[in-house]
Amino acid sequence: MELSDFFYRDGIELELQGETKDEILKELIALLGLDEKSENILYKMLKRRENLGSTGIGRGIAIPHCRSLVVSKLRVAFGRKPQGIDFNAIDNQPVHYFFLIVAPPLEVSNQYLPVLGRLAQFAKEPDTTRRLEEVASPEEFLELFEQQAPR
Amino acid sequence: MNGGMHPQLELLLQIQDLRSQRSELAEGEVARAFEEQEFGIDVDEAIGRLDAKIDEIRAELEPPIRRRLDRMTRGSDRTVVPLINGVCYGCFTALPTAESASVGRQAVNSCGNCGRFLYVAG
Repeated sequence: MELSDFFYRDGIELELQGETKDEILKELIALLGLDEKSENILYKMLKRRENLGSTGIGRGIAIPHCRSLVVSKLRVAFGRKPQGIDFNAIDNQPVHYFFLIVAPPLEVSNQYLPVLGRLAQFAKEPDTTRRLEEVASPEEFLELFEQQAPR
Repeated sequence: MNGGMHPQLELLLQIQDLRSQRSELAEGEVARAFEEQEFGIDVDEAIGRLDAKIDEIRAELEPPIRRRLDRMTRGSDRTVVPLINGVCYGCFTALPTAESASVGRQAVNSCGNCGRFLYVAG
C-alpha cells in the first residue's frame, strides 16, 4: 500500500478559500464530490470529531478524519491554505495543510487506520511542511507522494 | 447517495455513524491508542460525549422509528445498511424493484427480510 494510491487530482486543492475551521472542513468535504445531504452528514461527523479534540497535530498540519456511512470506500483529500487558519491545533499554531480521511464503518480493505498512521508519520518528518509549501500543482503533489512519502 | 433523503433517515445515519465511532474507540485498541497518542484525545471522556450525542439525536426520532431502532439495537449494532443495486447489504437479499426504487425518498424504508433501515449508498 502506497499513500499515493489514495490521492487523485480532483481531491487536491492548493488554494483553499475558507477563513474558519468550519469553512475549511466544508471545502475539504466538497472535494469528495458527494451529494448535498451526504456532505451535511459528513460535516456533522467531522465537527463532532473535532469537538472531541482538534486533529491539528502541529507543524501546520491537520488530519480531519472520521468513519461514515455516506462513503462506500476509503476517501482521501488534500487542501492547502497558504495563509493558515486557526484550527485549535495541539501546538496552537496556524494550520496550512489538511489531509481529510473518511472511511465507511465496515471497510473491507481495512486501510483507514494504516493510512491515518502513515500520514501522521509523514506529518512528523522534518521537511514535510517545506515540501508541501513548494508544491505548485496537483500533479506535483501526487509526484511528491510517489517519490517521497513513507513506504 | 440519494439526495432526497428523508429527515428521519438522516438522523438514523448520524446515530449509526456515532455508534461506529464509539465502538471503534471503546473496543479497538489500535484506534484508541492512535487517538490518544497522535491527537491527545481523552478516550473515556470522548466516549461519554458520544453517548450523550447519540441520546440527543435518538430523542429526535419519531417514536415508532425509535422503538424499531431500539429493538434492532438489542440484536445487532448494524441497524442502518446500504441498498446497493437493489440488494440489502445487511442480509444480502434483493428487494423487489418498486420497493428498492422508493428507498430513502418519502419514508424510512426497511428490508422486508432482516428489518434493517435502508439507504441508497453513494
